[in-house]
Amino acid sequence: MLWKLSLTGIKSRFKDYLILFSGLVVASMIFYMFLTIAINPSFISHDVSASTDYLNFTFAFGIVLLVLITFVYLINANSLLLSMRKHDYGMFMSLGAKSRRIGLLIFLETLITGTLATIAGIILGFGLTAIVSQLLITKLNLQITHFVVIYPQAIGWTLVFFIFMFFWGAIHNVRKLTHTPIISLLKEDQKPAKLGHHPVRLAVEAVFGLLLLGAGYYILGLPLGMFLLIIPGALITIVAGTYFIFNAMCISVINFLLKRKKFSYRGLRIFTLGQLKFRLHDLTKILTIISLLFALALGAITVGLNFTTLKDLANESIYYDNIVVSSSPAVKKEVAKLHVSSEQTYHYKESRKNLYFMRDELKKQPLKDKKAYLAGHEPRYKTVNLALSQLDKPDTHANNAFSSLLGSSKKIKMVSRSGWRSLSGKRHFLSLLSVKDFEQDYPAMLKIQQLQLKENPHYINQFNESKPVFYQLISNFSSGFEFMGFFLGLAFLTMLASTLMFKVLSGAARDQIRYQMLYQIGARAQVLRTSIKNELGILFLLPAVLGILDVLFGLKLFRILLPNPYHHLWIPFTIFIVLYIGYYAITIKLYQRIVLPEQEKAKEKKQALA
Amino acid sequence: MTEILRVDQVTKTYGKRGEKQYQALKGINFAVNSGEFVAIMGASGSGKTTLLNILSTLDKPTTGHVFINQQDNSSLNANQLADFRSKQIGFIFQDFNLLENLTNRENIALPLTLQGVPASRIDPLVDRITSRLSITQIMNKYPAEVSGGQKQRVAAARALVHEPAILLADEPTGALDSKSARELLDTMSDLNINDSITTLMVTHDPLAASFASRILFIKDGKIGEQLLKQELPRREFYHQLIEHLGAEV
Repeated sequence: MLWKLSLTGIKSRFKDYLILFSGLVVASMIFYMFLTIAINPSFISHDVSASTDYLNFTFAFGIVLLVLITFVYLINANSLLLSMRKHDYGMFMSLGAKSRRIGLLIFLETLITGTLATIAGIILGFGLTAIVSQLLITKLNLQITHFVVIYPQAIGWTLVFFIFMFFWGAIHNVRKLTHTPIISLLKEDQKPAKLGHHPVRLAVEAVFGLLLLGAGYYILGLPLGMFLLIIPGALITIVAGTYFIFNAMCISVINFLLKRKKFSYRGLRIFTLGQLKFRLHDLTKILTIISLLFALALGAITVGLNFTTLKDLANESIYYDNIVVSSSPAVKKEVAKLHVSSEQTYHYKESRKNLYFMRDELKKQPLKDKKAYLAGHEPRYKTVNLALSQLDKPDTHANNAFSSLLGSSKKIKMVSRSGWRSLSGKRHFLSLLSVKDFEQDYPAMLKIQQLQLKENPHYINQFNESKPVFYQLISNFSSGFEFMGFFLGLAFLTMLASTLMFKVLSGAARDQIRYQMLYQIGARAQVLRTSIKNELGILFLLPAVLGILDVLFGLKLFRILLPNPYHHLWIPFTIFIVLYIGYYAITIKLYQRIVLPEQEKAKEKKQALA
Repeated sequence: MTEILRVDQVTKTYGKRGEKQYQALKGINFAVNSGEFVAIMGASGSGKTTLLNILSTLDKPTTGHVFINQQDNSSLNANQLADFRSKQIGFIFQDFNLLENLTNRENIALPLTLQGVPASRIDPLVDRITSRLSITQIMNKYPAEVSGGQKQRVAAARALVHEPAILLADEPTGALDSKSARELLDTMSDLNINDSITTLMVTHDPLAASFASRILFIKDGKIGEQLLKQELPRREFYHQLIEHLGAEV
């Protein structure tokens, strides 16, 4: 009978349960998605060619943060689950149900809800992981070979973590419910919110928060040699600073605005500010973690995308797009596929010690090279002509550059056309090609290099010096980072946005009554909608602003890996902010659907039908 | 005396055509003049709440019309109705309906900010009504920090601050202890007599109804008899009401 009653109770609050359940599913889905990459050693060692210590540290840090946010989220979800059921359980107990039986009911309800959500999350996680990884691999043209979508260890750890959390939550719920007087359970919904803020304490906390945040940003700028000190130092100061800023500074600002009557006495502004004040008090911890996750997600995408600059640099640092030395039909066939923009061909004869070139040919088509220089902190390349007079002078820049194009350590000699004709020795040619679009012709050019190496193993030096091969090397190195950056960025973004979204939605049922009141005293529906947009907008904006600041200061850490971590910053920022705004828009729609008065919803439906 | 409220042949039927229908109001007619204090009494399920929802423009009648200040509500669109509520009607609810995330002062100021009253005029208006209702000392507190009686006075101040044409009260003493209930009713009566505030109160409590100058009885969706206080002292009017109710049983 109790089970039947319990199920009826769940049915009557189905919408609330659906929100809670979806939130839990998303949490476990993201957790699984993150683990597929973070605890897959073969992905890290094969696809990401970088210092494993550095990466292990990054992933350990990521896991700690993800566990932290999931932990806070699950505790919140659990207390929400409990508060939704308090009234029902109080009623069962007032009708004479034994607290032991009620305890069992609560325990199983929490555990079953949690386990089902975790399993659903993992299954959906397969799909999400597959979609995201495929999308990234194809869209970014990455070479990823050791990434797997269904990774048993990730499934195992996700299950262990979540079921442990729910088990612990279930015990906590049982203890809490069976130790609460029945009357308190029955009147759960009528408890007033408490808000005790002493202005002096608020001011001290606000200043303290700003100082801590400033200290954190200063630490991020310290020399990279102090890396192991920078990370924990910045983490502690920034987390604490962010917490105090949300807990004290934002509330102080709201108090200040509320006192400026010219500002607050307009439309629903006092209501919006009042709502925000209570929400910020309630959401301080979660907003703190969200701003950090925001920073991590945006940082990961920014750094990931920034690795493409390495490919650009590889492309820019070598002048000739391709070297051709073979005239075999297979090579010729591939060369024909290229969109060649210029071609420089030189003929030479090879003796035991020397390589003989015709001076005329080199004069007519001067050899070019790229010279590196620094524009600020950013490396740039400019095209220069190799001095003809120095091509045959050992240890000059021109001579070295020419030798590396030839892949030979033999001496370069320049002779006249007639002198060249009279020389004995094997005849060769060196064709240096430039194409219209390197990325477009890259696969064919790489094939040409591979064919030439296959035909002649001595070609290895030129092969290694050729642009397609160098580009491939850099591309392999940066692909892993790009993939990881985007993948983690998207995972963190989904997690943070859904946490914020579900947290806001889970309180919506209680807000509904406030909007009904406002409607009754004559607030227009449009005014209510604007108030909702403003209130949620600020809730989304605050962690975003701090998150963006964290990223701007945090990117300094990547000077060690990237030539300019701030390069093309607007691209990842735009991608990220558009996705974030999408989440904000969805949250508003769902929230409005819950809180707006029934009369307004009916009108909306009618309009939609019309 | 001018007519503030007129209810003309109002019916309300729930349920769609072809389904089982239930008629909550069956042709209600009455009027309230300026400065009157009218109580509508009826048992649970008699149609009191339905009627109040229609009078307050939160619901629409199936047939019939409601005029407040000669304005027919049925001709207004959603925005006009919202503006109408914010200007012409003041509400007091049984469970106060105060916003617990705003201070009492902010709660009272809300109808004025919604109407776009200039900020410089709002505080003087709030101060005037709060001193009239003797709640000036709790203005900076939150509703959760004051007693039920004080909450209902704050709600009354919010209902009156914008000087509405009519004050609608839905079981205003329902959640109060007897002392607070009595104080509130005294205040409402005082406001009605001395400030000529037109009041329509829905209640099932005879004591509360005895503070009105006229009582309308609603039963099974119809207004039956009415009882006039005329020159009777309140206590005698209360006894007359009790006798009337006893005779009905």
